[in-house]
Amino acid sequence: MNAPLPDLALCASEPIRVPGAIQPHGRMAVLGPDGALVAWSANWAGADAARRAAGLVGARLAALDGEGPAALGRVDVDGAPLDVLGHRSGALVLLEFEPAVDEAGTQAPIYSLARHFLPLLQRAGSVAELADLAAREIKRLTGFGRTLVYRFDEEGHGEVLAECIDPGYDSYQGHRFPGADVPAQARELYRLNHIRLIPDASYRPVPLLGVEAGWEPASLDLSHAHLRSVSPVHLEYMRNMRTLASMSVSIVVGDRLWGLISCHDHAPRQLPFQTRAACEHLGRLLSLQIGAKEDNAEVAQRLELRRLTLQLVAQLADSDATLQQLAGEPGLLLHMARAGGAAVVLNDDCWTAGETPEREQIAALAHWIAGKGVETWACDRLVQEFPPAAAFRERACGVLAVSISQVHRHLVLWFRPELVRTIRWAGDPRKEATVGDGRIHPRRSFASWQQQLRGRSLPWSPAELAAAGELRHALIGIVLRRAEELAEVATELGRVNKELEAFSYTVSHDLRAPMRHIAGYVDLVQDMEGKQLSERSMRYLSHVKEAAAYAGHLVDALLDFSRMGRSALKRKRVDTHVLVEELVAELARQEPARAIEWQVAGDLPVLWGDPFLLQVALRNLLGNAAKYTRTRSRALVRVRAVRGPEGEGIEVEDNGVGFQQKYVGKLFGVFQRLHQTEDFEGTGIGLASVRRIVERHGGTVWARGEPDQGAVFGFSLPAGKGDAKPREQGED
Amino acid sequence: MLKPILLVEDDKRDLELTLVALERSQLANEVIVVRDGAQALDYLLREGDFRERQEGNPAVVLLDLKLPKVNGLEVLQRVRATSHLRSIPVVMLTSSQEESDVVRSYELGVNAYVVKPVEFRQFVTAIADLGVFWAVVNEPPPGSQKASRRYE
Repeated sequence: MNAPLPDLALCASEPIRVPGAIQPHGRMAVLGPDGALVAWSANWAGADAARRAAGLVGARLAALDGEGPAALGRVDVDGAPLDVLGHRSGALVLLEFEPAVDEAGTQAPIYSLARHFLPLLQRAGSVAELADLAAREIKRLTGFGRTLVYRFDEEGHGEVLAECIDPGYDSYQGHRFPGADVPAQARELYRLNHIRLIPDASYRPVPLLGVEAGWEPASLDLSHAHLRSVSPVHLEYMRNMRTLASMSVSIVVGDRLWGLISCHDHAPRQLPFQTRAACEHLGRLLSLQIGAKEDNAEVAQRLELRRLTLQLVAQLADSDATLQQLAGEPGLLLHMARAGGAAVVLNDDCWTAGETPEREQIAALAHWIAGKGVETWACDRLVQEFPPAAAFRERACGVLAVSISQVHRHLVLWFRPELVRTIRWAGDPRKEATVGDGRIHPRRSFASWQQQLRGRSLPWSPAELAAAGELRHALIGIVLRRAEELAEVATELGRVNKELEAFSYTVSHDLRAPMRHIAGYVDLVQDMEGKQLSERSMRYLSHVKEAAAYAGHLVDALLDFSRMGRSALKRKRVDTHVLVEELVAELARQEPARAIEWQVAGDLPVLWGDPFLLQVALRNLLGNAAKYTRTRSRALVRVRAVRGPEGEGIEVEDNGVGFQQKYVGKLFGVFQRLHQTEDFEGTGIGLASVRRIVERHGGTVWARGEPDQGAVFGFSLPAGKGDAKPREQGED
Repeated sequence: MLKPILLVEDDKRDLELTLVALERSQLANEVIVVRDGAQALDYLLREGDFRERQEGNPAVVLLDLKLPKVNGLEVLQRVRATSHLRSIPVVMLTSSQEESDVVRSYELGVNAYVVKPVEFRQFVTAIADLGVFWAVVNEPPPGSQKASRRYE
């Protein structure tokens, strides 16, 4: 979004911690480890004056501990009362002297803060309210013409949350200040030293002088010194803003510079030490309160997200627990991640909810994210990472994705739309500096302008990422449980199959036996008693026998049929020409009285299949042709090859009784018959077997017919590896 | 002396029909009938009720597959594992067309696997073929001797 700003790099080289000078509203004396004067500011009457003043502090130096300056009371130097601040910097002691100013009121500012401000702070409901209170209170304590409370975002841009201004001051409420306004180095100083006052931006810095010749002023670290002279760039910036006095109080939450209370005045403004101490204290109180509020908000958000996650998971667990059900709960799914759209991707399938990119775009994105091999991935500037996203950035500039499987491309994705938000910048961060004389001049135009933030979405919060991670765990749990259930079902299925097998075994053995017995005993009776039985009794007995025989055939056929579904295919290259010739010979033997004209084409294919099953299929087709041409005086059966894009096969055409094409769907069903049993024998399983065999090979069956005009039955099988090698050359 | 045929059959109707079929096949061999696998093994190994029987193996064993106590496959397995029985021809005579049974029988070294035809005349033919084939192969019949001794 932002081009890199030049001043960050340049300001980073400004010696802001070691300027070698102080502001002129106070004086400095620097003591060595032995208590002797090492350096003094040029605004003392001389080294001796500095030494004398330091000597007045005397034993109070023992009170110095910690990093920041501590108040060391008041000394009287040549009749002028001076407030003294002191702090240690390495082996040195830095003493700062400022003219003492007595407060006009009776109450110390710190006391009024505790009494007046603290209860208000505790009652505040939100961060915005806290900021507002702080702005008012600082204004009240200091009298600055404008106080602002602003917060830094993750990129360092400041956003004005609250302000309190006098008439004649520009309002910055709601404005943003580019991160470049406060360089990283200065930011770090704000984090360490929580208050800084510049009483007069037009000041002339007072140099530091060493007692020893050759002492280098820039060797003195003034990070914690209140009097530290600030960057000339900053002073220029202030003057450009028509600000002659400024004060900053840091808001540090945890260890992070969260924001600043920034005060400006059109006129120079000095603040007594007690007031500054109160402001610094206010900053600390505010920091604590903000930290607590943010923690609470974070906890509340996490709780809410957890509630949503659990709700989602519960609904999923109640359903058949397939992941695409997630997309069936669009409200929850979208709400959970504050997303505009979501998608569930299971390999090549995709389910969506809300506003999402197109399916192909999601697929490409999912592929790309899955390639990262991470559990959770989030981005609020997708186009930068994944350029094809430019095509759908209105819908998805931000993506949060969780991966549900290490093996499969199973992802849940949330999309956030482009955040074309209108931001009022206090100045144009892109028209930053004009480098002409080698120095940086802050911008001169502060007219608000608007920038549309393109190519990015609202960022994903840590709580949202955590919730997505939690959802991921829950989903994996569900998926695993589902897999276990499936495994159980498979086991159960295996058991049922075994039972079925046992059942068919029983049928094969125990049902055949009684049929055989009926037929056998009837035969014996006919043989032995035939002569004494009436013709009618003999006829009845023959019906009994036929029925038993038919039942036996039926059992056999059923068994054959069930076996076709169970036994594994043992595929080989099968020369159907040989197979057909053998079957034709067999059929001719079975009905020697019939004269069937068999026209078998010479180019029948070599198929890739189970030889036994293919034989069963062909026997059925040829047998049917023979059977249904029985009424013809001249029976003709043609067997020919079929070759198509889906594979090779065989068609058997007869000139028999045929069938009505509208019944073609019934032909291949089990026990479906289109003719009377008296006319044509059979169990009605033959064509069902053919279909099952062909389909188990991955092939197709078909039939065409017309009553009394004959029929055509055919099948084809997909090309297998057997086809890769053509029939041996030269051997036939 | 013709060697006997050992018929192992638990179903009494199958037994009767098989005996009729053997009768019609005009085989001279004595037919020893036992009703389960345990008895069959006793006969072959000359144990239990058959401790006293004369030495010698039957010409052929017609073995039903599905038998109480010790089933046909187990009998077959035992026969093939016993050195002095190993060469006896064993014919599985069964109602079962289960491929696994056929495969297993051949793995165990059955000589023939015959599914009893539903049609009685076919059944008679099958039994006759079997009896004649195995009886002739093992020893040509010098004369006709119809006999059937049954142990029940």
